[in-house]
Amino acid sequence: MITIENLTKYYGTNRAVNNISFTINDNEILGFLGPNGAGKSTTMNMIAGYLPMSAGKVTIFGSDISKEPVAAKKNIGYLPEIPPVYPDMRVREYLSFCAGLKRIRSSERRDEIARVTKLLKIEDVQDKLIKNLSKGYKQRVGFAQALLGNPKFLILDEPTVGLDPNQVIEVRNIIKDLKKEHSVIFSSHILSEVSAVCDRVVIINKGDIKAIDTIENLEKKLGGSLTLHIKVKGDRTKASNIIELTDGVQEITAIDAEGNDFFAFAVKLKEGAGDDTKNAIMAELIKRGIQISEIYTEKPDLEAVFVDMINKASTKNGLLDLLDEIKSETENGSEAEDEPEESDEDEEKEDAE
Amino acid sequence: MFSIYKKELQSFFYTPFAYVITALFMFLFTYMFNSALGDLERPILQFTFPDIFYNVIFFFIFLIPILTMRTFADERRFGTEVLLMTSPVSVIQIIIGKYLANLTVFLFMMAGSAFFPIFTHLHGTLIMNQLICAYIGFFAWGAMFIAIGMLISSFTENSIIAAVIGEIVMWIFMFIDDFSRTDFIMQFPKLQSVLYAFAAQPRFAYFSQGFIRLSDLVFFASAIIVCLSWNFIAIERRRWKRG
Repeated sequence: MITIENLTKYYGTNRAVNNISFTINDNEILGFLGPNGAGKSTTMNMIAGYLPMSAGKVTIFGSDISKEPVAAKKNIGYLPEIPPVYPDMRVREYLSFCAGLKRIRSSERRDEIARVTKLLKIEDVQDKLIKNLSKGYKQRVGFAQALLGNPKFLILDEPTVGLDPNQVIEVRNIIKDLKKEHSVIFSSHILSEVSAVCDRVVIINKGDIKAIDTIENLEKKLGGSLTLHIKVKGDRTKASNIIELTDGVQEITAIDAEGNDFFAFAVKLKEGAGDDTKNAIMAELIKRGIQISEIYTEKPDLEAVFVDMINKASTKNGLLDLLDEIKSETENGSEAEDEPEESDEDEEKEDAE
Repeated sequence: MFSIYKKELQSFFYTPFAYVITALFMFLFTYMFNSALGDLERPILQFTFPDIFYNVIFFFIFLIPILTMRTFADERRFGTEVLLMTSPVSVIQIIIGKYLANLTVFLFMMAGSAFFPIFTHLHGTLIMNQLICAYIGFFAWGAMFIAIGMLISSFTENSIIAAVIGEIVMWIFMFIDDFSRTDFIMQFPKLQSVLYAFAAQPRFAYFSQGFIRLSDLVFFASAIIVCLSWNFIAIERRRWKRG
């Protein structure tokens, strides 16, 4: 298990990561989600032991990364945002060098390299210079490096950036497979990716954790109100009246529909309302002779959760903000003190007059 | 540590780099050797290798920074520093591995220069003791310059800037003893003695005259240790300060 406790990072007076804590369980894929500049890479660099933390503690399978870096790093495979490859080396040389760095015995190196190159499908570029590879291949070489030596904990910083759609799917499947033997933390700003791969998600923005939960729970938390999309043929007003009067309907919006006589509605249901309401609407419409040509339910998606979480009013970030706050407070205070003086002056003027 | 050493050697020897720099070194050596032969006057046909070495170390100002400029600058430029720092190797091991690799290339260059004494030996007599002493001094000098060059390479991510700054610093080291003997500095005997303490050239002169003095060896060894320790501090400091 990997525990991250009260991790904080200051860049000068600017707080990039603010007191975050979470754990990564064995055989779990944890998604690390946030917009660009949220502090994802900084956090991952700290977990991997590249950047020292300003405060807090990272424990990797019992070893504190700051106190026993070598022991902790033996269990880490890290793929940074930019794949750390030497352009002037051949893929095989590079992987052999990385295997040496990770202290893999020379007798096992060949097999280990064969394993990761096969897994990432880079066997056919093994003898090429890395500088001649495309972005996608470089990314995969970097990924192969992280997998060398089968470390128990993998840190993957945006591993699918720069890959084509086919490769993205391949890499996602590899990550899913890794779950069997590894703990994985995997960052992304793409939601569909996280929801496709991860068990749990940590949402981070401006250095603060906005949510830690499973994807289902996050969807539920958003309120869980469903939207029905209904397309009907027949009397438009009649149909809209029927729908509006059904129990559990919160709001109805007419949508333009193509074709004569067809009308479409987006029906927002009340919280907790679901299939019963849908069936009631359908039954009533059919009873009144209105044909239903299409009906489907839309769940609130993770995208909505994400946007919602990120836009939540954030607490003050960084010392500068705090200073601004204090400054504005003192200014307000002094203004308040100034006012009576002004009035005194006014009075004096009046007196003079 | 060994894997870093090996990788560095590969980057020198799998590319033309080590061969080109050795060829350049030998070309410059030939030039000095040739001019020494040209100065020969009858009836005593005699010249000294230490004198040639004395001239050749001047070229180190240009050659050594080229050798060391990429050591840390390129790691930063390619983002591969992350790989080294997140591997189960310590920063000290990284520095020593890289230092030994640079030193190996330097030994390769020195081996190239051995061609000239061998050539002379075939056609004349060689004073071996003096030559060996000069070689030890030569090696100590190079080892110190490599440590300085590596230190400067860790300050920047641009290898050309590392080379230029390295040249300037090595130039200062080379001529600090001349500077300390100028009339202006002579007015301040204490300053003069401090500056002179940093002068490496007179210490090399002892080697080239056939003296091996412990104080000179200590000077070069401590210069190397100071530079490599500073290198360690520079790398750690940047990790802490990054932002």
